[in-house]
Amino acid sequence: MNRRLSRLGLLLALAALAPAPDANRDRHVGASYQVPYRLTDTNHFLVRVRLNGKGPFNFLVDTGAPALYVATETARKVGLEPAKDTFWTPLDRLDFEGGATLTDLKARVEDPFQLVGMNALGLPGASIDGILGFTVLARFRLELDPTRDRMTWTRLDYEPRDPPVPDRRPGDGPPPELQAMNLLGPVAKFAAALMGKQPEEELHPRGFLGLELGEEAEGGIRIDRVLPETPAAKAGVQAGDQLVRLLDRDVKSVKAALGTVDEIRPGDQVPLTVRRGSETRELTLTAGEGF
Amino acid sequence: MAPIMTLPRCTRFRFTAPLVVFVLAAVGLGSVLAAAPPAAPAAPAAKASAKGKTSEPRGTVPFEMLATNHMVVRTKINGKGPFDLIFDVGAPITLLTNKASLESGTIKADAPRSFLFAIRGESEVKRLEMGNMTAKDVPVIVLDHPLLKAMGEMLNRPLDGIIGYTFFARYRTTIDYQAKTMTFEAVDAPVRNLMKDLPDRLAGPRVARHRMLAPGALWGLNVGEPVDGLDSPGIPILSVLADSPAARAGLKPGDILTTLDGRWTSSIDDAYAAAVGIAPGRDTAVVVLRDGKELTVTVRPVAGL
Repeated sequence: MNRRLSRLGLLLALAALAPAPDANRDRHVGASYQVPYRLTDTNHFLVRVRLNGKGPFNFLVDTGAPALYVATETARKVGLEPAKDTFWTPLDRLDFEGGATLTDLKARVEDPFQLVGMNALGLPGASIDGILGFTVLARFRLELDPTRDRMTWTRLDYEPRDPPVPDRRPGDGPPPELQAMNLLGPVAKFAAALMGKQPEEELHPRGFLGLELGEEAEGGIRIDRVLPETPAAKAGVQAGDQLVRLLDRDVKSVKAALGTVDEIRPGDQVPLTVRRGSETRELTLTAGEGF
Repeated sequence: MAPIMTLPRCTRFRFTAPLVVFVLAAVGLGSVLAAAPPAAPAAPAAKASAKGKTSEPRGTVPFEMLATNHMVVRTKINGKGPFDLIFDVGAPITLLTNKASLESGTIKADAPRSFLFAIRGESEVKRLEMGNMTAKDVPVIVLDHPLLKAMGEMLNRPLDGIIGYTFFARYRTTIDYQAKTMTFEAVDAPVRNLMKDLPDRLAGPRVARHRMLAPGALWGLNVGEPVDGLDSPGIPILSVLADSPAARAGLKPGDILTTLDGRWTSSIDDAYAAAVGIAPGRDTAVVVLRDGKELTVTVRPVAGL
C-alpha cells in the first residue's frame, strides 16, 4: 500500500512538472509526412532522426515500447547529459527524416537489452541507436505499407501521457524477470565474442561516365549529350554517336545500358563501342565519381 | 489470401541458443516495465465483432491502451477466446503463450516442449479474428515470454501473446492512437521468415554484404563527405556539370545538399541511395543551404549514366 501511495506521489509530482503544451503543436496538426524507413535483417523498422539537431541516428519504430529511449552511446555523441535526479531527460528537439519535428520531449537515456544484444551480434545489419515508443508515435497517425519505401505519418491533435516512472526504493531492483532479461545483452555480447559480429552492409556508389542517352535505334542508343570534362568527354565520345556495346555487351535500350553499368565503381576501366557515321570505334573510359 | 510461405510444423526445432536469446531479446516491450504501474482494473477490451465468418482482406480493429502504454487487441483464435494480444510493431515475430496455444488448438497438448521458456516452436493460427476482420494462417511462435508474464501480473490481467512483424507485413496498416483503432488492408508483399533466415545468418560467414548504389538517372552532381560530423546539415556539392539537369535547376558548387527527394543526404552514400529510385524525367525536390539559407529547387534528371 505504501508503495502504491509513493508511486501516486511521484506521478502527481511529475504531472506538476510537465511542461506546458507545445505552442507549436497546433501548427503541425493535420500535416502529413513521408517518412523513409528501412527494414532490418531482424524485421525491425528503422527511421532516421536528429536529436537536438545532431545526427542522423537510426531509431526503431516500436509500438511495443512505452516511451522514447536514447541509447547511452547516442546520448553521449550528441552531448545529451542524462538527468541524474529524474527518470526522464529533457530533449529539446527531435527531427524525423521526411520533415516531421517534435519539440520539448522527455527521453529515457538507457540501453534496453534488445538493442544491446542485437547490436552486439550485428544482427540488424545496421546500428540501432534508440527506440521510438508510444510517447512519440502516438502523436501521429501511422501508415505502414510494406509495398512502399516510406511510411506516412500524420500529426494528430493528441498529447500522449508519460508512462509511470519506476518506483524503486533504494536496494530494490527491477522485477526478477527483467533482471533476467537484462542479462541477455551481456550474453549476446559474449556470444558475439565467440562467433564474431555480423559486419554492417557495405555500400558502394556506382561510377560515372557522363553520357546523356536519347532514342533507341538501329541496335543501339543515340548519345544526346556528352557532359564536359567527364570520363566520356575525355575518352572522345561525341554527341550524336550511337552507343552499341558497353562492357562487352550489346545494349539496345537505356534500361539495358543502366543495368550493364550497375556494378562499375569509380576508377574501373569501361570499354564501350560507338558508331559514328559508318565508323565503329572502340573506346575505353575510366569511370569517375558523380551521378 | 494465398499462403505466403510454408512453415515447418510446430514439432520442428531450429532454435540455437543465440536464437533463443534473440527471440526473447528482440521482443522487448521496452524496459519501463521495471515500473509496476498502478494495477488497472481488467477493463474489457473492445468487443470482438460477431462478424468475420468470412475472410476479410481489410478491416478495422479497435485497441485499448494499457497503463504501460502498450496497445492491446482483443482477438478470437480459431473461434476460441477472447485472447488479449499486444500489437507490437517492434517485435519481429508473432508469439502466443502455451496456454493460449493449447486453448485455441494452435498446438496439441502432446507437442514437445523445450525446458527453456517452454518453447514449442513454430506453428500457425488458422483463424485470427479481431474487430471486423479475420486473418488466416498466421505464423506464430509458441513461447512463454517472461516479460509478457511479468506485465500480465503487474496489470492483473492475462496477456496471451504479441502480434509482430510476420502479421503486419501482410497489410497496409494504419495506427490511429487518437481514435484507438487500427485499419488493415491486405497487400501482396513478401513476408520474411526470421526463424529460417536468422539461424542461417548466425551460422554464416562474418563477411560484409555489398550493395551497389546505382542512380536511376543522370543529374550532373558530384558530392563530398560532410565536414562537421554529426553537426552537418548535409554534404557539400563539389561540382555541377555544365549543361546538366543539376546546372539547369540552378545548383552550384559550394551548396550544401541536405535533402534529395525527401531523404536526408548526410553522406555520399545517402545521396546515391536517394537517387537510386528516381527515374529519368521525374521532377524531384532538392533542398540545399546556400549562404546559410535554405533553398528548394526542382531537378528533372535525364536518362544517362
